[in-house]
Amino acid sequence: MFHTKKIYFTPDLKISEIIPDNPYLLLFFEHFGITLPVQDKSLETVCKENGLSLGMVLTFANLFNGVTQVSDPELSFDDTKAIILYLKNSHEFYSGEIYPDILNTIEQMAEVNDSSEMSLVKKFFINYFSEVNEHLDYENKVVFPYVLDLYDQIKNGEHRKKRKEYSVVQYRDQHNDIEEKLDDLKKLLIKYLPQKNDRMLRRKLLYSLFELDYDITVHSQIEEFILIPLVEKMESHLNQSK
Amino acid sequence: MNRLVNIIAVETSPLISEGLAGILNKSGIHCRLSIASSLEEAELLQAKQKHELIIVNPIFLNNNSKLFHSIKSRFERVKWVGLVYALYDQEIISMFDALITASDNPSTVTDTLNKLLDEENGTEQGSLQEILTGREIDVLKLLATGNANKEIADKLNISIHTVISHRKNISQKTGIKSVSGLTIYAVTQKLISIDTIRE
Repeated sequence: MFHTKKIYFTPDLKISEIIPDNPYLLLFFEHFGITLPVQDKSLETVCKENGLSLGMVLTFANLFNGVTQVSDPELSFDDTKAIILYLKNSHEFYSGEIYPDILNTIEQMAEVNDSSEMSLVKKFFINYFSEVNEHLDYENKVVFPYVLDLYDQIKNGEHRKKRKEYSVVQYRDQHNDIEEKLDDLKKLLIKYLPQKNDRMLRRKLLYSLFELDYDITVHSQIEEFILIPLVEKMESHLNQSK
Repeated sequence: MNRLVNIIAVETSPLISEGLAGILNKSGIHCRLSIASSLEEAELLQAKQKHELIIVNPIFLNNNSKLFHSIKSRFERVKWVGLVYALYDQEIISMFDALITASDNPSTVTDTLNKLLDEENGTEQGSLQEILTGREIDVLKLLATGNANKEIADKLNISIHTVISHRKNISQKTGIKSVSGLTIYAVTQKLISIDTIRE
């Protein structure tokens, strides 16, 4: 039996003490530009040092630790830039680090496992990778600039400029697709793909897939529960000040 | 009972929820327990993954029974268990399928939950079986070799609606949702050969 253990973050918690409970948090801090070592610093101190609002980091960190956000998070428009920084850094992690890493492991696996199924898995991942890149590219080039632009307009007291609207619905669908295929890949490796000299590589691959899955799940929760509501708030704020 | 049962407990007292986890751990019910601290959180968890049982402290229903009713009607299959350790209005208590109380001994708790799970099993027979039916295999083969829903419907002389319902069952049984993933599955099960896959 598996019991979900949740640790609620508080401002005075030492980062060094919380990481052993959930090592994936290393990634979380990296996405905010916070790197090791952290000595005995508390969350609050690190936020101050990095110019991050404590409330926002707490919201994110709790989400990351499995505490699902239900009510409206306490975020101000001024958090926009840090939110986008977090999302951009995690994109960088996906496209620059973990996806290429996974592809590399799959290629190594295909060298030792010459079954036709394995060649299909490789093809599956290559297609999937390019879909992911397309999605990340779309967010980097369309969504994030749109959000930052909204923020600038608010800061400068401008009226809302007419812009080409992007569809939040389309954006959500793509997310589901990315998580779904990742899940399919894990299931194929765990349940069905015939074993052929790939025990060690398969395990490494699965560890990476779980790491990616964890980060991506939180990533889409942040976009869904934090970014999208914030964008909606900014849009209505700008519309009102017309 | 061998299958994995997903359970949510909506309870803010760690003493109670940890105690419940301990009892479940020893109950022989093969389960995964998630703790939620509000009905809204339970709703989110349920939307993400199907849970068979949701155990709720009735205190969350005070002034909130509207939300409870709406969740209840949205997730028809779920069994609702009240976790009672205070006095509540009969009206609230009657909304649950069963009750467990803080003074129950572990075997009573286990029995109550098992009874609900057995009922659930009876109504859902077959769908937990992971072997595909002959018709599902027909659909899977055509799907994996690059046919669209409409083509599958025409070739098997069934409606598109039926094709979609077969596909849903195939994904539920295999755990694989994407067409490209199902194609690989079909090859691993020797249902199709690799050279029949349409590029």
